[in-house]
Amino acid sequence: MPAFASYIAQRLAAALLTLAGAIMFLFVIIQFVPGDMISILLGPRATPELRADFAQRMGFDRSIPEQIWLFFGRAVTGDLGTDVISNRKILDMILEVLPNTLQLASAGLLISLVLGIALGCIAALKPGSVLDTILGVTSVAFITTPAFVIAIFLLLIFSIQLHWLPVTGAGDPGNPLDRLSHIILPATALSIGWIGYLARLIRASLLEVMSEQHVRMMRAYGVPEGRIVRHFALRLALVPMIAVMGIGIGDMISNAVFVEIIFARPGIGTLIYSAILNRNYPVVQAGILFTVITYITANLLVDLLNAVLDPRIARSLKQAA
Amino acid sequence: MAMNLDRRSLLLAASGAAALPLLGLGSRVAFGADGEIIVRIEKDISNLDPANRVGSVEGNIITSVCQTLARFKPGTTLEWEPEAAKTITQVSETEIAFELNPGQMFTGGYGELTAEDVKFSYERFKPSDDGKKVAYADDWAALDHVEVTGKYTGRILFKNPAPAIFAIGICDGSGGLVSKKATTELGDKIATTLVGSGPYLIKEWKPNDHLTLEVNPDYKGNAPAPYQRIILKPIPEWQTSLLAFQAKEIAFTEIEPTVVAEIEKDPDSAVIKIDGIDYEWVGINVEKPPFDNLKVRQAIRYGIDVDAIIAGAWSGTVTRAKTLLAPTLLGHWADAPVYPYDPAKAKALLAEAGVSDLKCTLTCLNDARTQAEAQIIQANLAEAGVTVTINALDPGAYWDLGTPDKSKDLELTIIPYSAKTDPGFQTQWFVSSQVTIWNWQRWKNPEFDKLHAEAGSITDPAERAKKYIRMQQLLDESASCIWITHGVHDFAHAKSLAPAILPNGTDWQYRFFKPA
Repeated sequence: MPAFASYIAQRLAAALLTLAGAIMFLFVIIQFVPGDMISILLGPRATPELRADFAQRMGFDRSIPEQIWLFFGRAVTGDLGTDVISNRKILDMILEVLPNTLQLASAGLLISLVLGIALGCIAALKPGSVLDTILGVTSVAFITTPAFVIAIFLLLIFSIQLHWLPVTGAGDPGNPLDRLSHIILPATALSIGWIGYLARLIRASLLEVMSEQHVRMMRAYGVPEGRIVRHFALRLALVPMIAVMGIGIGDMISNAVFVEIIFARPGIGTLIYSAILNRNYPVVQAGILFTVITYITANLLVDLLNAVLDPRIARSLKQAA
Repeated sequence: MAMNLDRRSLLLAASGAAALPLLGLGSRVAFGADGEIIVRIEKDISNLDPANRVGSVEGNIITSVCQTLARFKPGTTLEWEPEAAKTITQVSETEIAFELNPGQMFTGGYGELTAEDVKFSYERFKPSDDGKKVAYADDWAALDHVEVTGKYTGRILFKNPAPAIFAIGICDGSGGLVSKKATTELGDKIATTLVGSGPYLIKEWKPNDHLTLEVNPDYKGNAPAPYQRIILKPIPEWQTSLLAFQAKEIAFTEIEPTVVAEIEKDPDSAVIKIDGIDYEWVGINVEKPPFDNLKVRQAIRYGIDVDAIIAGAWSGTVTRAKTLLAPTLLGHWADAPVYPYDPAKAKALLAEAGVSDLKCTLTCLNDARTQAEAQIIQANLAEAGVTVTINALDPGAYWDLGTPDKSKDLELTIIPYSAKTDPGFQTQWFVSSQVTIWNWQRWKNPEFDKLHAEAGSITDPAERAKKYIRMQQLLDESASCIWITHGVHDFAHAKSLAPAILPNGTDWQYRFFKPA
């Protein structure tokens, strides 16, 4: 088997194992969460008959290994069961909101990449300057401020004071500008921390590359500094950033939960959040399954991208072959 | 063909892919426009079946989409008037006769509303042959059967007198008239597909985004809806709903009492304040030593400064409750004693009971206001020499205490309950049979149980009121409940809108929302 194909197979196997482990862990920890769905949903109206009926329809009358086996058995066929409250297919419930979360996370990622790289480059070109110091302080402030705090400030400024952008929802699907206006604030809130983190990462990476021998040689040949950065140094400096983007995407999706709640934006985060409050575990499990799949897929892609972009990985694969 | 993949093309492709979602696919949100309003609901719908609905969010939709035989008059009274019925008459304590208006059509081509549909709608609440009950079965517990006497006429027959049947059955969500044919055909889909004959129909539901009520063009009733569309938008966080209201994205929302003054500054907005009928109290477990000693419970009652709780945790926005039933309800005990904060008396009572260095746990919900209440109680009781540990639980864990016998280890508990307009709904949680479930005081009193049963099966309001007052006196003598407040419901609305809210604050009559 060619080395690269073997590498992909290994990564896929690891991804599947991670997925199975995450779901099993979820099943186990759910057993330790106090409070059950039936008491919460039906309250004083939870007659013994209703309780038994709910437990049976949710599969809680079976043992945990049996529940896990059934869940995986059904999940591979695309059947995540039916929500006992609304009697709707859980898969439908997730597929309705998943695009919103992916759009939000993607938009947040895009903003982080554009602004993070730009700020990192500016700081690296003037190391030790006042501008570098200001950008450093700003970046750390961005990293340490929680997304929900940023969200509240953005809402107060751009929605309440200026009336420029809407507070809630995801926008009219037939109106791209409306969609855009609804995603700007949540995506910005989501991306702020990563803008700071990427700016610091790119600065450090770029400074390291700029001090290497081949860059010094280019300078000696009179190649302009801007051209060195844009065409040579930045390419190399971006490699470590790609490695952390897998984590970044996972972070975006988990933070999207808070952002979606604050902006009352339909998405996988709000779905899981309301399901947790109701102890509606089948919906929680399915929602987390999709989140884990997204996270693992993103990491897998990042690993593969790294193998393509980083000559050291390519070399080690060749040697292994 | 070999693929030539370089770093530049990869990065460009990745950036392009990340930007694609901005072009937009997905859900819709509606802004206000002529003939439509956007109203905030606290959560998305779960189940619109009148017999298995989850709460008032669904109940308010049901009473807009389905007709009832009689409906509450708009505004803040609880008087009723015929709706689907041409006439509705209380023939005796156990019989109600009705005649429907002819020609009232169900949406979706499910035909005309007939007496058979009324029979089907009500008898669904009775236990099935295998003993299974619907969630709201208790609302029609007194129902024996409905007799159809003609296409549009029938008799509702009860096993025993049901004085609250108009308040909790006929006019409420449990009285929503559904199509027998549609319900049978749709099966479980009725949870999200409601077929009614009311002034509105459900035009669109985008889960977690919005639900649109649109005027039913086939509605033949006597109260056509003033708005062409009402868009219900689930916003779980009240802070977000406040921001959305301030940004003029929504026209109506319930708000926290503490932000009323801020809303009132806006010339385009108005606030409606409705004194609540709910009840929040500190329950004392009378089975748990030393709280099994009456003097200890009395000491705790003197050791808690309810006025300080109102001032501190509620910012003075509510009035103090002195008994179970709110002043607007039948059976309110107007002369109920108000116990002042008196730590010295509390100490003396503890000494009389032979209790010193008392340590106990106060269980409560983990929201900010309830925790503030708990901290005030903790400080109050410290003055009386009682050390309180606060056990704040999330709603899931807290309400799980209603699982049989999980409440047996509770000591002090801050308990918030929702009320209905019939006093029997409130007193039912304090009877002996609820001790292992929702009677967290675990207080039992045969006289109380007897009075509760009697008051629920007589129709004379004066007699009922006497019995409910006596029940509250028994509760007071037990010193097992320290009443805090009946709460308040504050609503912010656009001045251009006149909302219609029933006195309990949770029942909103969308059909009577109209331009101001």
